[in-house]
Amino acid sequence: MLEACKISYAHKKFSILENIDVSVNYGELLVIVGPNGAGKSTLLSMLANEMKHGDEPIMFKKKTFEEWDQKELPLHKAKFSQQNSNDIPLTVTDVVMMGRYPYFNSVPHQTDLDAVTKSMEETDVLSMKDRDYNTLSGGERQRVHLARVLAQLENNIAHKLVFLDEPLNNLDVLHQHRILHTIKNFTELGNTAVVVLHDLNLAAQFADQVLLLKKGKIVSHDKPEKVFTKEIISKVYNFPCTICLNPVNQNPLIIFGT
Amino acid sequence: MQNKLPLYIVLSLLLLLILATAALYMGVYEFEKHSFFEIFKALINNDNSIPESDKFVLMDLRLPRIVMAILIGSALSVSGTCLQGMFKNPLASPDLIGITSGAILFGAISIVLGSHIKPYIPEVFHFSMLSIAAFLGALLTMTIVYRISTSNGKTNVVVMLLSGVAITAMAFATTGFLIYLSKEEELRDLTFWNLGSLGGATWTKNAILAVVIIIAFSLLITKGKALNAMMLGERDAQHLGIPVEKIKKRIIILTALLVGTCVAFSGNIGFVGLIVPYILRLIFKSNYHIILPMSAIFGSILLLTADTISRTIAAPSEIPIGILTAFMGAPIFIAILIRSKKSM
Repeated sequence: MLEACKISYAHKKFSILENIDVSVNYGELLVIVGPNGAGKSTLLSMLANEMKHGDEPIMFKKKTFEEWDQKELPLHKAKFSQQNSNDIPLTVTDVVMMGRYPYFNSVPHQTDLDAVTKSMEETDVLSMKDRDYNTLSGGERQRVHLARVLAQLENNIAHKLVFLDEPLNNLDVLHQHRILHTIKNFTELGNTAVVVLHDLNLAAQFADQVLLLKKGKIVSHDKPEKVFTKEIISKVYNFPCTICLNPVNQNPLIIFGT
Repeated sequence: MQNKLPLYIVLSLLLLLILATAALYMGVYEFEKHSFFEIFKALINNDNSIPESDKFVLMDLRLPRIVMAILIGSALSVSGTCLQGMFKNPLASPDLIGITSGAILFGAISIVLGSHIKPYIPEVFHFSMLSIAAFLGALLTMTIVYRISTSNGKTNVVVMLLSGVAITAMAFATTGFLIYLSKEEELRDLTFWNLGSLGGATWTKNAILAVVIIIAFSLLITKGKALNAMMLGERDAQHLGIPVEKIKKRIIILTALLVGTCVAFSGNIGFVGLIVPYILRLIFKSNYHIILPMSAIFGSILLLTADTISRTIAAPSEIPIGILTAFMGAPIFIAILIRSKKSM
């Protein structure tokens, strides 16, 4: 569904990504992990068509982003970014409703209102729907934007794609798992998700494929149990670790420290 | 909230209509016992039951002036709202960031230098020469201010305001210099620029204003959703299918056109683009989908009220309207500054 070849990016002659080849299949949950400064967010931005990339075009559903109808594209793909902005003097519902902007002209339809309510339930922000966005805490804001992204992709189109850049920052355990289950349900319907995560154990538990980056290069791109081995992880993170089987769900369990 | 927008629009239009009718009755000249209905009827039938002076005051003085107040108030406050959406800051208004001054500067230059070529061109173009110069001045300063203060879609508010101060100082100095150079008649024009007045209202000017406003509004007023989405950051807005660059270009050109035309016809009327969005934000939050169309109407209400006060409070003389708007605007400017102290 999404194919990219030879992605490179340099900022002021300092190379951030070098010759990265990625392809993601229908129904796949790809998690990008790696230490700080590995280029995870940059790669995600590139894949999501936010920045200029190399000469090789990125193919989304066999078309380049330029070939897509710009009105059609937001119905097929969405992105959740790390929110560094700040000040949005609107109510929570107004912010989530922005996800439905590609669907209506002036007045939201009933389907838009339903989609907004549904996605707010999904991320557990319905109880604060009339509150001022600016009065929310970091984790609550995060969930509001997740609801917005979910609302954007609430339609009957098959094989949608969502990019999520560290969606679990600031979230408590309950909401971390809730969000990941939501994403997992989304991909099980044949949709695709590309997610940047920091928590390797959550990645091991939920990912179909893991892409491990270090210093702008792919170290490993494979199933979680192939990527999360003692040798690879301790070398990439430069920190000793032990890996055993998680007794509850039989996924690799990474324990750092000796 | 979005569903009630038509209701708000109808109610505020009614308010505007009532105010406009009231403003017709106010002024130094007292109409004879006839009601306006009778005057209009007489005008249509072209009979002589109404004194000439009544007709003249109504049709050539008061009515064009009221229409002009409505048009200019609307244009200025919509430009303010659009700029605030683009700069993502409630302090961005055409006068504070120097766009009005840029228009005044170019306008002043065209008044003084233009007198040398004026005899050779037909009178219709005198207005347009001024308007075009003011438009170019506004467009140029807008581009400069945006380039200086914004990088990667983020505006540095301090730089934005200070570049406004710098451009205003430049315009002030140049206008001062031009006053020394100019002849008597030009001097009157220049003073008028700096103070701002709706006294020069004519039907020709109103027609030009109306055309400019119709074009600009039809392209801007439906962009409330886009401005809302831009609060998320420009990249996130693009993911929602908003053509951010296209909309920014459109806002820059059309607000320059609106501000340039307003300055050409009424001079420096400050703070309208700051006051109206500020009040609307208090009521409707920053939902541009609502405040953009509402600012078009409330701008008219504000300027019409201010102009009516300016020509009645010290009758029979008139106080410059810019003084009134500054009295309202400056405290609001300070209020916004205090509020956004932390985020600057």
